[in-house]
Amino acid sequence: MKKNSEKQEEKMGQSNFNSFLKLCLTVLVIVVITEMFGTKTFRLGPGRVVLLPMLFAVVIGMLITPDLLGSKMESLKKIISMDEVKMAGSYVMIALLPLGVKYGTLVGPNIVEVVKAGPAFLLQELGNLGTVFIALPLALFLGMEREAVGATASISREPTLGVIGEKYGISSPEGTGVLGTYLMGTVFGTIFFGLLGGYSAATGLHPLALAMASGMGSGSMMAAASGALAEAVPEMKDGILAYAATSNMLTGVTGLYSVIFLGLPLVNFLYDKLYPFFSKKNRGDK
Amino acid sequence: MSLNFDRSLEYLKMLIIVGVLILIGQRIGYGVNVMPALPGMLIVILISFIALTIKDSFPELKFPAFAWASLIALILSMPFMPTSDIFLKFTNEVNFLGTTTPILAFAGISVGNKIQKLKKLSWKVFIVAIAVFIGTYFGSAIIAQIVLKMQGII
Repeated sequence: MKKNSEKQEEKMGQSNFNSFLKLCLTVLVIVVITEMFGTKTFRLGPGRVVLLPMLFAVVIGMLITPDLLGSKMESLKKIISMDEVKMAGSYVMIALLPLGVKYGTLVGPNIVEVVKAGPAFLLQELGNLGTVFIALPLALFLGMEREAVGATASISREPTLGVIGEKYGISSPEGTGVLGTYLMGTVFGTIFFGLLGGYSAATGLHPLALAMASGMGSGSMMAAASGALAEAVPEMKDGILAYAATSNMLTGVTGLYSVIFLGLPLVNFLYDKLYPFFSKKNRGDK
Repeated sequence: MSLNFDRSLEYLKMLIIVGVLILIGQRIGYGVNVMPALPGMLIVILISFIALTIKDSFPELKFPAFAWASLIALILSMPFMPTSDIFLKFTNEVNFLGTTTPILAFAGISVGNKIQKLKKLSWKVFIVAIAVFIGTYFGSAIIAQIVLKMQGII
Protein backbone atom coordinates (compact mmCIF):
# COMPACT_ATOMS: atom_id res chain seq x y z
CA MET A 1 0.00 0.00 0.00
CA LYS A 2 2.64 2.41 1.15
CA LYS A 3 4.86 1.52 -1.74
CA ASN A 4 2.03 2.18 -4.15
CA SER A 5 1.35 5.65 -2.87
CA GLU A 6 5.05 6.40 -2.89
CA LYS A 7 5.22 5.32 -6.48
CA GLN A 8 2.24 7.46 -7.31
CA GLU A 9 3.83 10.43 -5.62
CA GLU A 10 6.99 9.86 -7.56
CA LYS A 11 5.00 9.69 -10.76
CA MET A 12 3.18 12.89 -9.92
CA GLY A 13 6.44 14.60 -9.10
CA GLN A 14 7.77 13.38 -12.43
CA SER A 15 4.83 14.70 -14.44
CA ASN A 16 4.98 17.97 -12.52
CA PHE A 17 8.62 18.31 -13.40
CA ASN A 18 7.85 17.55 -17.05
CA SER A 19 5.12 20.20 -17.07
CA PHE A 20 7.53 22.63 -15.48
CA LEU A 21 10.19 21.96 -18.12
CA LYS A 22 7.75 22.16 -21.02
CA LEU A 23 6.20 25.38 -19.75
CA CYS A 24 9.47 27.17 -19.02
CA LEU A 25 11.10 26.13 -22.29
CA THR A 26 8.01 27.25 -24.20
CA VAL A 27 8.08 30.63 -22.49
CA LEU A 28 11.80 30.88 -23.21
CA VAL A 29 11.12 30.29 -26.90
CA ILE A 30 8.34 32.91 -26.88
CA VAL A 31 10.61 35.43 -25.13
CA VAL A 32 13.49 34.81 -27.55
CA ILE A 33 11.29 35.12 -30.64
CA THR A 34 9.41 38.23 -29.50
CA GLU A 35 12.55 40.03 -28.26
CA MET A 36 14.31 39.27 -31.54
CA PHE A 37 11.33 40.67 -33.39
CA GLY A 38 11.48 43.76 -31.15
CA THR A 39 9.23 46.80 -30.82
CA LYS A 40 7.26 47.92 -33.87
CA THR A 41 5.65 51.32 -34.11
CA PHE A 42 3.66 52.79 -36.94
CA ARG A 43 1.48 55.83 -37.55
CA LEU A 44 -2.23 55.39 -37.82
CA GLY A 45 -4.22 58.54 -38.46
CA PRO A 46 -3.37 61.10 -35.79
CA GLY A 47 -1.69 58.67 -33.41
CA ARG A 48 1.05 56.10 -33.14
CA VAL A 49 0.47 52.43 -32.55
CA VAL A 50 3.18 50.86 -30.39
CA LEU A 51 3.54 47.09 -30.54
CA LEU A 52 5.83 45.97 -27.72
CA PRO A 53 7.33 42.47 -27.49
CA MET A 54 5.01 41.81 -24.53
CA LEU A 55 2.02 42.28 -26.82
CA PHE A 56 3.28 39.64 -29.24
CA ALA A 57 4.14 37.41 -26.28
CA VAL A 58 0.60 37.41 -24.88
CA VAL A 59 -0.91 36.73 -28.30
CA ILE A 60 1.47 33.84 -29.05
CA GLY A 61 0.96 32.45 -25.53
CA MET A 62 -2.78 32.47 -26.00
CA LEU A 63 -2.69 30.99 -29.50
CA ILE A 64 -0.70 27.92 -28.51
CA THR A 65 -3.15 26.83 -25.78
CA PRO A 66 -5.11 23.57 -26.20
CA ASP A 67 -8.45 25.17 -27.14
CA LEU A 68 -6.99 27.31 -29.92
CA LEU A 69 -4.10 26.07 -32.09
CA GLY A 70 -3.76 23.06 -29.79
CA SER A 71 -7.13 21.78 -30.94
CA LYS A 72 -5.81 21.65 -34.50
CA MET A 73 -2.31 20.37 -33.78
CA GLU A 74 -2.01 17.23 -31.69
CA SER A 75 1.74 17.70 -31.16
CA LEU A 76 1.24 21.18 -29.72
CA LYS A 77 -1.31 19.82 -27.29
CA LYS A 78 1.34 17.42 -26.03
CA ILE A 79 3.60 20.35 -25.11
CA ILE A 80 1.04 22.80 -23.77
CA SER A 81 -1.81 20.85 -22.19
CA MET A 82 -4.20 22.07 -19.52
CA ASP A 83 -1.59 21.07 -16.89
CA GLU A 84 0.86 23.60 -18.25
CA VAL A 85 -1.91 26.20 -18.60
CA LYS A 86 -2.72 25.78 -14.93
CA MET A 87 0.91 26.04 -13.92
CA ALA A 88 1.35 29.20 -16.01
CA GLY A 89 -1.23 30.91 -13.81
CA SER A 90 0.96 30.71 -10.72
CA TYR A 91 3.98 31.89 -12.69
CA VAL A 92 2.19 35.08 -13.73
CA MET A 93 2.00 36.23 -10.12
CA ILE A 94 5.69 35.49 -9.57
CA ALA A 95 6.83 36.98 -12.89
CA LEU A 96 5.05 40.25 -12.05
CA LEU A 97 7.28 40.85 -9.02
CA PRO A 98 10.49 41.92 -10.83
CA LEU A 99 8.32 44.40 -12.74
CA GLY A 100 6.95 45.60 -9.41
CA VAL A 101 10.52 46.19 -8.20
CA LYS A 102 11.36 48.07 -11.41
CA TYR A 103 8.33 50.31 -10.97
CA GLY A 104 9.42 51.03 -7.40
CA THR A 105 12.84 52.13 -8.65
CA LEU A 106 11.10 54.52 -11.05
CA VAL A 107 8.92 56.09 -8.35
CA GLY A 108 11.59 56.37 -5.63
CA PRO A 109 13.92 58.89 -7.33
CA ASN A 110 10.88 60.98 -8.35
CA ILE A 111 9.16 60.75 -4.98
CA VAL A 112 9.15 64.51 -4.42
CA GLU A 113 7.35 65.23 -7.71
CA VAL A 114 4.96 62.36 -7.07
CA VAL A 115 4.02 63.64 -3.62
CA LYS A 116 3.48 67.11 -5.06
CA ALA A 117 0.98 65.60 -7.48
CA GLY A 118 -0.79 63.90 -4.54
CA PRO A 119 -4.17 65.62 -4.97
CA ALA A 120 -4.30 64.63 -8.64
CA PHE A 121 -3.47 61.03 -7.74
CA LEU A 122 -6.24 60.83 -5.16
CA LEU A 123 -8.90 62.53 -7.24
CA GLN A 124 -8.20 60.59 -10.43
CA GLU A 125 -9.03 57.42 -8.50
CA LEU A 126 -12.61 58.72 -8.68
CA GLY A 127 -12.25 58.76 -12.43
CA ASN A 128 -12.42 54.98 -12.36
CA LEU A 129 -16.14 55.54 -11.82
CA GLY A 130 -16.25 56.88 -15.38
CA THR A 131 -17.09 53.36 -16.43
CA VAL A 132 -20.49 53.64 -14.75
CA PHE A 133 -21.53 56.64 -16.82
CA ILE A 134 -20.43 55.21 -20.15
CA ALA A 135 -20.80 51.46 -19.87
CA LEU A 136 -23.99 51.19 -17.80
CA PRO A 137 -26.26 53.07 -20.25
CA LEU A 138 -24.72 51.08 -23.09
CA ALA A 139 -25.34 47.78 -21.28
CA LEU A 140 -28.96 48.74 -20.63
CA PHE A 141 -29.35 49.85 -24.22
CA LEU A 142 -28.17 46.40 -25.31
CA GLY A 143 -30.90 44.88 -23.17
CA MET A 144 -28.86 43.67 -20.19
CA GLU A 145 -30.61 43.75 -16.83
CA ARG A 146 -29.04 43.17 -13.40
CA GLU A 147 -25.96 41.70 -15.15
CA ALA A 148 -25.16 45.29 -16.09
CA VAL A 149 -24.67 46.21 -12.42
CA GLY A 150 -21.93 43.64 -11.98
CA ALA A 151 -20.39 44.21 -15.38
CA THR A 152 -20.01 47.98 -15.16
CA ALA A 153 -19.44 48.79 -11.45
CA SER A 154 -15.68 48.84 -12.02
CA ILE A 155 -13.02 47.37 -14.26
CA SER A 156 -13.74 44.09 -12.44
CA ARG A 157 -10.37 43.00 -11.13
CA GLU A 158 -10.08 40.54 -8.27
CA PRO A 159 -11.25 42.87 -5.43
CA THR A 160 -14.49 43.65 -7.29
CA LEU A 161 -15.02 39.99 -8.01
CA GLY A 162 -14.79 39.36 -4.27
CA VAL A 163 -17.12 42.20 -3.29
CA ILE A 164 -19.86 41.34 -5.78
CA GLY A 165 -19.50 37.63 -5.13
CA GLU A 166 -20.04 38.26 -1.43
CA LYS A 167 -22.91 40.71 -1.82
CA TYR A 168 -24.95 39.05 -4.57
CA GLY A 169 -23.41 35.58 -4.94
CA ILE A 170 -21.21 34.74 -7.89
CA SER A 171 -23.98 32.78 -9.69
CA SER A 172 -26.44 35.69 -9.43
CA PRO A 173 -27.05 37.92 -12.48
CA GLU A 174 -24.72 40.53 -10.96
CA GLY A 175 -22.11 37.79 -10.50
CA THR A 176 -22.47 36.73 -14.12
CA GLY A 177 -21.94 40.33 -15.17
CA VAL A 178 -18.80 40.87 -13.13
CA LEU A 179 -17.36 37.55 -14.29
CA GLY A 180 -17.95 38.58 -17.90
CA THR A 181 -15.97 41.80 -17.60
CA TYR A 182 -13.34 40.05 -15.49
CA LEU A 183 -12.89 37.38 -18.13
CA MET A 184 -12.70 39.92 -20.93
CA GLY A 185 -10.14 41.91 -18.98
CA THR A 186 -8.04 38.87 -18.24
CA VAL A 187 -7.99 37.68 -21.83
CA PHE A 188 -8.02 40.93 -23.80
CA GLY A 189 -7.13 43.60 -21.22
CA THR A 190 -3.40 43.75 -21.84
CA ILE A 191 -3.85 43.66 -25.61
CA PHE A 192 -6.48 46.40 -25.50
CA PHE A 193 -4.51 48.67 -23.17
CA GLY A 194 -1.26 47.93 -24.98
CA LEU A 195 -2.84 49.39 -28.12
CA LEU A 196 -4.77 52.15 -26.37
CA GLY A 197 -1.82 53.30 -24.23
CA GLY A 198 0.36 54.31 -27.15
CA TYR A 199 -2.49 55.66 -29.23
CA SER A 200 -4.09 57.71 -26.45
CA ALA A 201 -1.22 60.21 -26.64
CA ALA A 202 -3.01 61.51 -29.75
CA THR A 203 -6.07 62.58 -27.72
CA GLY A 204 -4.31 65.73 -26.54
CA LEU A 205 -4.53 64.66 -22.90
CA HIS A 206 -1.20 65.16 -21.14
CA PRO A 207 0.99 62.01 -21.04
CA LEU A 208 1.26 62.30 -17.24
CA ALA A 209 -2.53 62.36 -16.91
CA LEU A 210 -2.76 59.31 -19.16
CA ALA A 211 -0.02 57.65 -17.12
CA MET A 212 -2.04 58.11 -13.94
CA ALA A 213 -5.05 56.59 -15.68
CA SER A 214 -3.15 53.44 -16.58
CA GLY A 215 -2.93 52.41 -12.91
CA MET A 216 -6.18 50.51 -12.64
CA GLY A 217 -5.28 47.83 -10.14
CA SER A 218 -3.85 45.30 -12.58
CA GLY A 219 -0.09 45.07 -12.84
CA SER A 220 -0.08 43.64 -16.34
CA MET A 221 -2.65 46.07 -17.78
CA MET A 222 -0.73 48.97 -16.23
CA ALA A 223 2.51 47.65 -17.73
CA ALA A 224 0.91 47.32 -21.16
CA ALA A 225 -0.70 50.78 -21.11
CA SER A 226 2.21 52.71 -19.58
CA GLY A 227 4.89 50.77 -21.46
CA ALA A 228 3.28 51.63 -24.78
CA LEU A 229 2.68 55.24 -23.73
CA ALA A 230 6.32 55.58 -22.67
CA GLU A 231 7.44 54.29 -26.08
CA ALA A 232 5.13 56.76 -27.82
CA VAL A 233 6.42 59.72 -25.75
CA PRO A 234 10.00 58.61 -24.99
CA GLU A 235 11.15 62.03 -23.73
CA MET A 236 8.80 61.64 -20.72
CA LYS A 237 9.44 57.96 -20.16
CA ASP A 238 10.56 58.09 -16.51
CA GLY A 239 7.76 60.39 -15.42
CA ILE A 240 5.15 58.29 -17.20
CA LEU A 241 6.29 55.04 -15.62
CA ALA A 242 6.61 56.61 -12.15
CA TYR A 243 3.11 58.12 -12.29
CA ALA A 244 1.60 54.90 -13.61
CA ALA A 245 3.20 52.78 -10.90
CA THR A 246 2.15 55.16 -8.12
CA SER A 247 -1.41 55.28 -9.37
CA ASN A 248 -1.54 51.51 -9.58
CA MET A 249 -0.26 51.14 -6.02
CA LEU A 250 -2.86 53.61 -4.86
CA THR A 251 -5.62 51.70 -6.64
CA GLY A 252 -4.35 48.60 -4.84
CA VAL A 253 -5.15 50.37 -1.57
CA THR A 254 -8.30 52.27 -2.52
CA GLY A 255 -9.79 49.97 -5.18
CA LEU A 256 -11.69 47.69 -2.83
CA TYR A 257 -13.23 50.55 -0.83
CA SER A 258 -14.04 52.57 -3.89
CA VAL A 259 -16.12 49.66 -5.24
CA ILE A 260 -17.93 49.11 -1.93
CA PHE A 261 -18.64 52.73 -1.05
CA LEU A 262 -18.76 54.48 -4.43
CA GLY A 263 -18.92 52.18 -7.44
CA LEU A 264 -21.69 49.85 -6.35
CA PRO A 265 -23.99 52.48 -4.80
CA LEU A 266 -23.54 54.68 -7.86
CA VAL A 267 -24.20 51.93 -10.36
CA ASN A 268 -27.28 50.80 -8.43
CA PHE A 269 -28.58 54.37 -8.19
CA LEU A 270 -28.14 54.97 -11.91
CA TYR A 271 -29.58 51.57 -12.74
CA ASP A 272 -32.79 52.42 -10.87
CA LYS A 273 -33.01 55.75 -12.68
CA LEU A 274 -32.19 54.46 -16.16
CA TYR A 275 -33.74 51.00 -16.20
CA PRO A 276 -37.41 52.10 -16.55
CA PHE A 277 -36.47 54.27 -19.50
CA PHE A 278 -34.53 51.54 -21.31
CA SER A 279 -36.94 48.72 -20.53
CA LYS A 280 -39.82 50.76 -21.95
CA LYS A 281 -37.78 51.48 -25.02
CA ASN A 282 -36.73 47.86 -25.45
CA ARG A 283 -40.30 46.69 -25.11
CA GLY A 284 -41.34 49.32 -27.63
CA ASP A 285 -38.78 47.95 -30.07
CA LYS A 286 -40.31 44.51 -29.87
CA MET B 1 6.92 25.66 9.63
CA SER B 2 8.26 23.00 7.28
CA LEU B 3 5.39 23.68 4.89
CA ASN B 4 6.32 27.35 4.81
CA PHE B 5 9.88 26.40 4.11
CA ASP B 6 8.77 24.27 1.14
CA ARG B 7 6.68 27.11 -0.18
CA SER B 8 9.55 29.58 0.17
CA LEU B 9 11.78 27.19 -1.73
CA GLU B 10 9.16 26.95 -4.48
CA TYR B 11 8.95 30.75 -4.64
CA LEU B 12 12.72 31.01 -4.96
CA LYS B 13 12.81 28.39 -7.70
CA MET B 14 10.12 30.23 -9.68
CA LEU B 15 11.80 33.60 -9.16
CA ILE B 16 15.13 32.25 -10.40
CA ILE B 17 13.45 30.83 -13.52
CA VAL B 18 11.80 34.18 -14.18
CA GLY B 19 15.13 35.93 -13.56
CA VAL B 20 16.88 33.73 -16.11
CA LEU B 21 14.11 34.39 -18.66
CA ILE B 22 14.47 38.14 -18.15
CA LEU B 23 18.27 38.02 -18.44
CA ILE B 24 18.08 36.11 -21.72
CA GLY B 25 15.25 38.27 -23.06
CA GLN B 26 16.96 41.57 -22.32
CA ARG B 27 20.25 40.30 -23.76
CA ILE B 28 18.45 39.73 -27.06
CA GLY B 29 16.02 42.64 -27.02
CA TYR B 30 18.02 45.43 -25.37
CA GLY B 31 21.63 44.28 -25.62
CA VAL B 32 22.20 44.12 -21.85
CA ASN B 33 24.96 41.59 -21.18
CA VAL B 34 24.12 38.85 -18.70
CA MET B 35 27.11 39.14 -16.35
CA PRO B 36 26.87 42.89 -15.54
CA ALA B 37 23.12 42.49 -15.03
CA LEU B 38 23.49 39.56 -12.64
CA PRO B 39 23.96 41.47 -9.34
CA GLY B 40 20.97 43.70 -10.16
CA MET B 41 18.86 40.65 -10.95
CA LEU B 42 19.84 39.02 -7.65
CA ILE B 43 18.71 42.15 -5.80
CA VAL B 44 15.43 42.15 -7.75
CA ILE B 45 14.86 38.48 -6.89
CA LEU B 46 15.66 39.10 -3.23
CA ILE B 47 13.17 41.98 -2.98
CA SER B 48 10.52 39.94 -4.81
CA PHE B 49 11.09 37.13 -2.34
CA ILE B 50 10.76 39.48 0.63
CA ALA B 51 7.55 40.87 -0.89
CA LEU B 52 6.06 37.38 -1.13
CA THR B 53 7.09 36.61 2.44
CA ILE B 54 5.48 39.81 3.75
CA LYS B 55 2.30 39.12 1.82
CA ASP B 56 2.05 35.59 3.19
CA SER B 57 2.77 36.82 6.72
CA PHE B 58 0.04 39.48 6.68
CA PRO B 59 -2.78 38.03 4.57
CA GLU B 60 -5.38 40.20 6.33
CA LEU B 61 -3.86 43.37 4.80
CA LYS B 62 -4.97 42.35 1.27
CA PHE B 63 -2.04 44.27 -0.21
CA PRO B 64 -0.69 42.29 -3.17
CA ALA B 65 2.93 41.10 -3.33
CA PHE B 66 3.36 43.18 -6.48
CA ALA B 67 2.62 46.35 -4.49
CA TRP B 68 4.92 45.28 -1.65
CA ALA B 69 7.73 44.76 -4.17
CA SER B 70 7.18 48.26 -5.58
CA LEU B 71 7.00 49.79 -2.12
CA ILE B 72 10.26 48.22 -0.92
CA ALA B 73 12.08 49.29 -4.09
CA LEU B 74 10.54 52.74 -3.84
CA ILE B 75 11.83 53.24 -0.28
CA LEU B 76 15.32 51.95 -1.14
CA SER B 77 15.59 54.30 -4.13
CA MET B 78 14.37 57.57 -2.61
CA PRO B 79 16.96 60.32 -3.13
CA PHE B 80 17.63 60.92 0.58
CA MET B 81 18.14 57.23 1.32
CA PRO B 82 21.78 56.10 1.70
CA THR B 83 20.91 53.00 -0.32
CA SER B 84 19.64 54.84 -3.37
CA ASP B 85 22.86 55.25 -5.41
CA ILE B 86 24.11 51.70 -5.19
CA PHE B 87 20.61 50.21 -5.42
CA LEU B 88 19.78 52.14 -8.58
CA LYS B 89 23.19 51.45 -10.09
CA PHE B 90 22.57 47.71 -9.94
CA THR B 91 18.85 47.60 -10.71
CA ASN B 92 19.34 49.89 -13.73
CA GLU B 93 20.96 46.88 -15.39
CA VAL B 94 17.58 45.16 -15.32
CA ASN B 95 15.58 46.55 -18.23
CA PHE B 96 12.04 47.67 -17.49
CA LEU B 97 10.47 46.37 -20.70
CA GLY B 98 12.58 43.22 -20.46
CA THR B 99 10.71 42.24 -17.30
CA THR B 100 7.34 42.51 -19.04
CA THR B 101 7.77 39.97 -21.84
CA PRO B 102 7.97 36.79 -19.70
CA ILE B 103 4.97 37.96 -17.63
CA LEU B 104 2.77 38.26 -20.65
CA ALA B 105 4.03 35.02 -22.21
CA PHE B 106 2.95 33.22 -19.03
CA ALA B 107 -0.25 35.28 -18.90
CA GLY B 108 -1.15 34.37 -22.47
CA ILE B 109 -0.75 30.67 -21.77
CA SER B 110 -2.58 30.93 -18.45
CA VAL B 111 -5.82 32.15 -20.05
CA GLY B 112 -5.92 28.94 -22.10
CA ASN B 113 -8.47 27.40 -19.73
CA LYS B 114 -10.80 30.40 -20.12
CA ILE B 115 -11.27 30.21 -23.89
CA GLN B 116 -14.28 27.90 -23.67
CA LYS B 117 -15.92 30.12 -21.06
CA LEU B 118 -15.19 33.14 -23.21
CA LYS B 119 -16.85 31.57 -26.24
CA LYS B 120 -20.02 31.17 -24.18
CA LEU B 121 -20.24 34.89 -23.44
CA SER B 122 -22.59 36.98 -25.49
CA TRP B 123 -21.24 39.62 -27.87
CA LYS B 124 -22.92 42.17 -25.61
CA VAL B 125 -20.43 41.42 -22.84
CA PHE B 126 -17.62 42.09 -25.28
CA ILE B 127 -18.96 45.53 -26.18
CA VAL B 128 -19.81 46.44 -22.59
CA ALA B 129 -16.33 45.40 -21.40
CA ILE B 130 -14.69 47.65 -24.00
CA ALA B 131 -16.87 50.51 -22.74
CA VAL B 132 -15.79 49.69 -19.17
CA PHE B 133 -12.11 49.80 -20.18
CA ILE B 134 -12.51 53.09 -22.01
CA GLY B 135 -14.65 54.63 -19.27
CA THR B 136 -12.20 53.71 -16.51
CA TYR B 137 -9.16 54.87 -18.44
CA PHE B 138 -10.41 58.17 -19.79
CA GLY B 139 -12.45 58.92 -16.66
CA SER B 140 -9.22 58.89 -14.66
CA ALA B 141 -7.21 60.63 -17.38
CA ILE B 142 -9.65 63.54 -17.66
CA ILE B 143 -9.79 64.14 -13.89
CA ALA B 144 -5.99 63.83 -13.67
CA GLN B 145 -5.64 66.33 -16.52
CA ILE B 146 -7.89 68.86 -14.78
CA VAL B 147 -6.26 68.54 -11.35
CA LEU B 148 -2.69 68.52 -12.66
CA LYS B 149 -3.49 71.64 -14.66
CA MET B 150 -5.05 73.34 -11.62
CA GLN B 151 -1.94 72.49 -9.61
CA GLY B 152 0.24 73.92 -12.36
CA ILE B 153 2.18 70.68 -12.79
CA ILE B 154 1.40 70.35 -16.49
